[in-house]
Amino acid sequence: MSDALIELAELGFAWPGQAMLLDIPAFRLERGETLFLKGPSGSGKTTLLGLLGGVHSPQRGSVHLLGQNLSELSFAARDRFRVEHTGYIFQQFNLLPFLSVRENVELPCRFSRRRADRAGQRHGSVAQAATQLLAHLGLRDPDLLQRRADTLSIGQQQRVAAARALIGQPELVIADEPTSALDSDAREAFIQLLFAECRAAGSSLLFVSHDQSLAPLFDRHLSLAELNRAARPASSEVS
Amino acid sequence: MYLLRLALASLANRRFTAFLTAFAIALSVCLLLAVERVRHEARASFASTVSGTDLIVGARSGSVNLLLYSVFRIGNATNNIRWDSFEHYASNPQVKWAIPISLGDSHRGYRVMGTNQSYFEHYQYGRHQSLQLAQGRAFQTDPFEVVLGAEVADALHYKLSDKLVLAHGVAAISLVKHDDKPFTVVGILARTGTPVDRTLHISLGGMEAIHIDWKNGVPARGAGRISADQARNMDLTPSAITAFMVGLNSKIATFALQRDINDFRGEPLMAILPGVALQELWSLMGTAEQALFVISVFVVLTGLIGMLTAIVTSLNERRREMAILRSVGARPWHIAGLLILEAFALALVGILAGMALLYLSIACAQGYVQSNYGLYLPLSLPSVYEWSLLGIILAAAVVMGAIPAWRAYRQSLADGLSIHL
Repeated sequence: MSDALIELAELGFAWPGQAMLLDIPAFRLERGETLFLKGPSGSGKTTLLGLLGGVHSPQRGSVHLLGQNLSELSFAARDRFRVEHTGYIFQQFNLLPFLSVRENVELPCRFSRRRADRAGQRHGSVAQAATQLLAHLGLRDPDLLQRRADTLSIGQQQRVAAARALIGQPELVIADEPTSALDSDAREAFIQLLFAECRAAGSSLLFVSHDQSLAPLFDRHLSLAELNRAARPASSEVS
Repeated sequence: MYLLRLALASLANRRFTAFLTAFAIALSVCLLLAVERVRHEARASFASTVSGTDLIVGARSGSVNLLLYSVFRIGNATNNIRWDSFEHYASNPQVKWAIPISLGDSHRGYRVMGTNQSYFEHYQYGRHQSLQLAQGRAFQTDPFEVVLGAEVADALHYKLSDKLVLAHGVAAISLVKHDDKPFTVVGILARTGTPVDRTLHISLGGMEAIHIDWKNGVPARGAGRISADQARNMDLTPSAITAFMVGLNSKIATFALQRDINDFRGEPLMAILPGVALQELWSLMGTAEQALFVISVFVVLTGLIGMLTAIVTSLNERRREMAILRSVGARPWHIAGLLILEAFALALVGILAGMALLYLSIACAQGYVQSNYGLYLPLSLPSVYEWSLLGIILAAAVVMGAIPAWRAYRQSLADGLSIHL
C-alpha cells in the first residue's frame, strides 16, 4: 500500500492473439499532481486508460488506484470504483447531444451517490455544483445551461466536459487529448482553467496528448514510450 | 427513474426514426384490434340474425342450405313445400306461431319474400327484438302492397306510396318482369342489421297474384293474361311455399316436433334448429376468420421486427453515446436497460397511438359499416381479451428489446471507454 493515487507495478497487457502492447515496470501519479503523458496514437494510450478505468484487466502486474488493487475488485465493483474516483474528458464530442448542458454536467452524480454527495457537500446541491463549475469555466449564461449540448461550440463543449469530469470532486481526472479540437490560444486557456479547477477540487490530473507544446505547463511530463518497455523493440529482444 | 429519462431523450433525438417505428407499430396494432373487433361483432351479429325461432322447415336438403336461403337470402331452395303441409304444422297444438316464407322473385338485386302478418308479429332477431316499422304500415288485404327493408328503401330511394315492379327470378338483371302488376310501398322497416334490411316483403297473396297467369315458368300471352284487378278478385291462397319458421309453446317439444317433421309422410320435409345451423355455418366461415386473425398477428410481428431493426441499426452509430455513458459511470446493465426501455417506450407509444387510431376509425366508419354491412362497431373500452392482446404485444416488444440490449451489453464491455466514431 502506498499513498500514491495511481501505482502501476510490472504491468503487462496484450490483446488476445497479439504481441504485448504494454509492459510498464513502474509508474506513479501522486495525489494533487498534474502529469502530462505524451503518447502518439497507436502507442497503447487508450488501452492504458482502459486499464486505469478498470474496463480491462492486466495479464500481469497490478493497477492500484487510491491503494486499491483493481484486479481484486469484481467487475461491477470496478465500475462503481471508477465513477466514484475518476472523471473523464475525451477528445471531442464528449457530451450526449440530446441532453441539456446542465444535465450533461450532472450525469456522473446520477450514477454515483458518492459524487452526488460530495457535490452537495461542497456546493450545496448537485444543481449548484453544475452552475458554479460551469461559471468557473467561463460559462455563466443561465440560458446556455438549458440548451442542448450540441448547440455549443467545440470550445464550450470541452469546458462542459471538464465541468462534468470535475463534479463531485473525483480524486483523478483523466483527460484524453481534450484540446486537440481547440486552437492554440484556446488550448492554453482551457488547460489553465482545468488546472485551477483540479486544484480547487483537490484532483490529480492525468493529461494524455501527443502535443508536446503543452508539456511545460504541467508539474511533470512523461512519454509513454519511456514508460513502456514493449514500445522499445531493441530492449525487449535483449530481455 | 433516470434511465427512462435518458431513453426518452435519446429517442427524441432520433425522433424521425422513432416516429416511423412507433407509427408502424400503431398501424399494426390498429389493424389487429380492428380485425378482432370486426370478428367479434360479425360473430355476434351473425348469431343474432334470427332469434326466437325454434325450427325452420323446408324441403329436404342440407341444413346450411336451408338456413342460407330462408334467413340469409342466399342461394335457392331445392324444392317447394306444399301449402297443406304448412297448414298441417301451423295448426299443431305445440306450435305457437308459424311464419310462411315464399321466395324466388327479386327487385333490382334485392330478394322478394312472400309472407303473412305473423312475420311482423313473431319474427325476431338480435336479443329478441321484433321488427319495427319506421314508416307506414304492414301490408294488408290488397295483394299488391310491399314493405321494404331499410337498406332497400335507402339504396333505391323509395318513399311510401312509390310504385315498383318485381322481377321474376333472383338475378340482378332480370329479363322477365312482373310489370303488369306493380306494387305500392306501404311500409318501410326500421334498420335491423340483418338480411331483413335487404328484403322486400309482400303478402303470400301478392306472390300468388303475380304468378297466377304463369304456366310452366313463363308468363301467359295474349288472352291468357290476367290483369291486376282480375287477380284481386281471385282466390290467392298459395299452393306452395318455400319454407316456414316455427315458434313453439314449449322449447321441450322442439326435438319431438323436429323428428315428427323429418318423418312427415305427406312429403319429404326437413326441420332444423337455427342455432345449430348457424353454428355449423359459422364454422365454415371460421377458417377465413382465423386466417384474418393470423394475418394481423403477423402484421404486428412485422411492426415489432421493424422496431428491432431500427434499434439494432442505431446501435453502431450510438457507440459514442454508450461510451460516454460508461465513462460517467453507467454500468453495462444500465446500457442494456436503456435499450429495453427504448423498445418498451416505442411499443407503448405505438400501442397507444394504435388504439387512438382504432377509435378514430371506428368513430368515422361506424355509420358506414352499419349501413353497408349491418355491423355495429361499438366505441367501447377494450375487452379483457383485447387488453391481454395488447399486453402480449408489449411483452413481445420487451423480449425483442432484449436482443439489442444484449448486443449493446457486449459492445459496451468490448468498447469500454474508448470512443469510436
